[in-house]
Amino acid sequence: MVINLKQLYQGRRQFLAGVLATGLAPSPTWADAGSPAFLSAAAKPDGTYVLCGINQNLEVVFQIKLPSRGHAAVAHPTQPEAVAFARRPGTFALIIDCIDGAPKTIINAPSGRHFNGHGMYSLGAEFLFTTENDYDAGRGCIGVWDVKAGYVRIDEFDSGGIGPHDIKRLPNSDILVIANGGIDTHPDSGRIKLNIPTMWPNLTYFEHGLVIEKVTLRPEMHKNSIRHLSVNQMGAIAFGVQVQSDDTISSLAGLHSRGQEINLLEAPSDEIRKLKGYIGSITFSRDGQEIAVTSPIGGVIHVYDTAKKKLKSLTEIPDVCGIVANDFGYLITSGTGDLIKLSKNRVRMKARSTLRWDNHIIAVRDV
Amino acid sequence: MKKLMLFFIYMIGSAISVVPTDQAIVEDVVEAHILPRFKALAVVSEKLVYAAEDDCSAKSLTLRNALRNAFDAWISVSHLRFGPTEKENRGFALAFWPDIRGSAPRNLARLITNQDTVVFSPIEFSKISVATRGFYAMEFLIYDQKLNKLGSSDYKCQLVQALAGDIFETSTKISDDWHNNYAKLLLEPSASSTYYSSNEALREVFKSIVGGLQFTSQARLGLPLGTFERPRPKKAESWRSNGSAHNVKLSLTSLHDLAMRLTLQYPGLKKRLGDSFDRSLILLENLKDPNFSGVSEPQSRLKIEVVQQSIDDISATIKNELGPKLGVFVGFNALDGD
Repeated sequence: MVINLKQLYQGRRQFLAGVLATGLAPSPTWADAGSPAFLSAAAKPDGTYVLCGINQNLEVVFQIKLPSRGHAAVAHPTQPEAVAFARRPGTFALIIDCIDGAPKTIINAPSGRHFNGHGMYSLGAEFLFTTENDYDAGRGCIGVWDVKAGYVRIDEFDSGGIGPHDIKRLPNSDILVIANGGIDTHPDSGRIKLNIPTMWPNLTYFEHGLVIEKVTLRPEMHKNSIRHLSVNQMGAIAFGVQVQSDDTISSLAGLHSRGQEINLLEAPSDEIRKLKGYIGSITFSRDGQEIAVTSPIGGVIHVYDTAKKKLKSLTEIPDVCGIVANDFGYLITSGTGDLIKLSKNRVRMKARSTLRWDNHIIAVRDV
Repeated sequence: MKKLMLFFIYMIGSAISVVPTDQAIVEDVVEAHILPRFKALAVVSEKLVYAAEDDCSAKSLTLRNALRNAFDAWISVSHLRFGPTEKENRGFALAFWPDIRGSAPRNLARLITNQDTVVFSPIEFSKISVATRGFYAMEFLIYDQKLNKLGSSDYKCQLVQALAGDIFETSTKISDDWHNNYAKLLLEPSASSTYYSSNEALREVFKSIVGGLQFTSQARLGLPLGTFERPRPKKAESWRSNGSAHNVKLSLTSLHDLAMRLTLQYPGLKKRLGDSFDRSLILLENLKDPNFSGVSEPQSRLKIEVVQQSIDDISATIKNELGPKLGVFVGFNALDGD
């Protein structure tokens, strides 16, 4: 489906008209309180989908209508600009102005590809990289888009596995790390998984489009799909998995640093069980000393001590999924409509809405 | 007065007894829905072994009927994808489908061309790729015209018998595991067991009805439908044996049975869901299109899409109405992972 930018503008204008009527018009400058600090996709009560800008007070400052369900977004490293991606197997990504939420460009996945919901800018923001499925070949691939030319597709390369999902960049470098979830799907059969018996996920590191390192989980864990990533200042990768077997699981998250083995994060088996084999989002804390993971199915957040690689605390929140680290701790979203500031394991601020927040929330600027 | 008191106590007692608890629902589902179906699968799979021993030629009606019966038994449990079917890839070893990458025909052709001796050892055969085993592989071997012409019929006879034996072995393992082990796990939840509570066990059963409807809609109907511009009739399940619509019917019939057991205490919802299943089955019957070849013609395609939509409507009712009632509400993000 090719999306018409004009329709999105109209949707936004209608929303802004409502906002203006209430005296809550978005401000024109980056620094103003009216501009968002966070972005998250959501479903509205009428079943339609939007991308929302959220400010520090947990107020929704803009909503942009999306053609179908969104997933994650990624912020431009220097400009007030972000890209929001369709949920797998969607084919659109929307580039927006983060100051007022104006849609700037829509990009569409080329024929025979769909987006997998995540993307990443290069260090200098010359390029945008998108995780994609070359579905007729059953091959994971990374799309390369020229940002300055207006997000023009210029290249693609193999992702190093099947079903690439999250993608991150190591700090101060152009080394990319990709979570190849290992699961083969084809849009003809929707989201049905086609290769569970033989799936084998990996983490693949790339520099200049070439594989420089690939790590996998132990063979007996081959049904643990590595999906979501977070990277700390030291370049360590934290990853969360989604399990495709009925086996007893000892850990659903791990740590990896280049050139080393994977280390799994430990928790008592009863607490691991409560995650129901499913991590929806993962993030390092701002100082990198903690790793927080969310399980919407289990309705629980686990916070791990990075150095000890052990569970430190947990908080139960129904259908919790989106999480982003900040100076105060974490901002968390839930499918039941909650936006929650969590600090030292305690709820500091909470806002309720009728929006059902989607899997990921991202920060578009420091707050 | 005493009589009146007793009457009230009786009334309260009977009011409680007619509202099934989570435990009672799970017990009914396990004993009347799950166990008999897996038992039947093992029984008809054994008959498939005898039929293959009797006459292993691809043209044999006895063999074709035995395969159909065993395959039917599989379709009727194909939504119950947890526990015993998921151990050692047993479910996939019986049914590797959708096979979008065409692994089964490729692997089967290779076995036949090389006259691979793996067919002579049940143990070795049980180690080959799941895509080369099970009902779909056997159906391919019997009905595919290219494979019919390939290689020696003696070897293909051995292959048919190896497939039948392997299907029986796997089906029996699943059935035994259900009867001797897994039923108990669902029925006796505890803090140290697989299921903490009977509500958690109920949630597992609920997931299987949601997943089963999704599979029938997205794979059994969605694959041949493809897109309007590019319909894919040859992607239909069992199209070679004219079994595509038949499989949808069996799947819906089994899911209907499960839905009725899950809605025992909600007569209104039970009636509506029952009507919805009936409607889907009638729409399917009216297609008179056993292998969904009609996906390529706009008019007949529309009718197949209507069947698919009617199944999606059942899914929506189950997720949005039955789920919350049973206390197994599946959240926005929890529903269908990513």
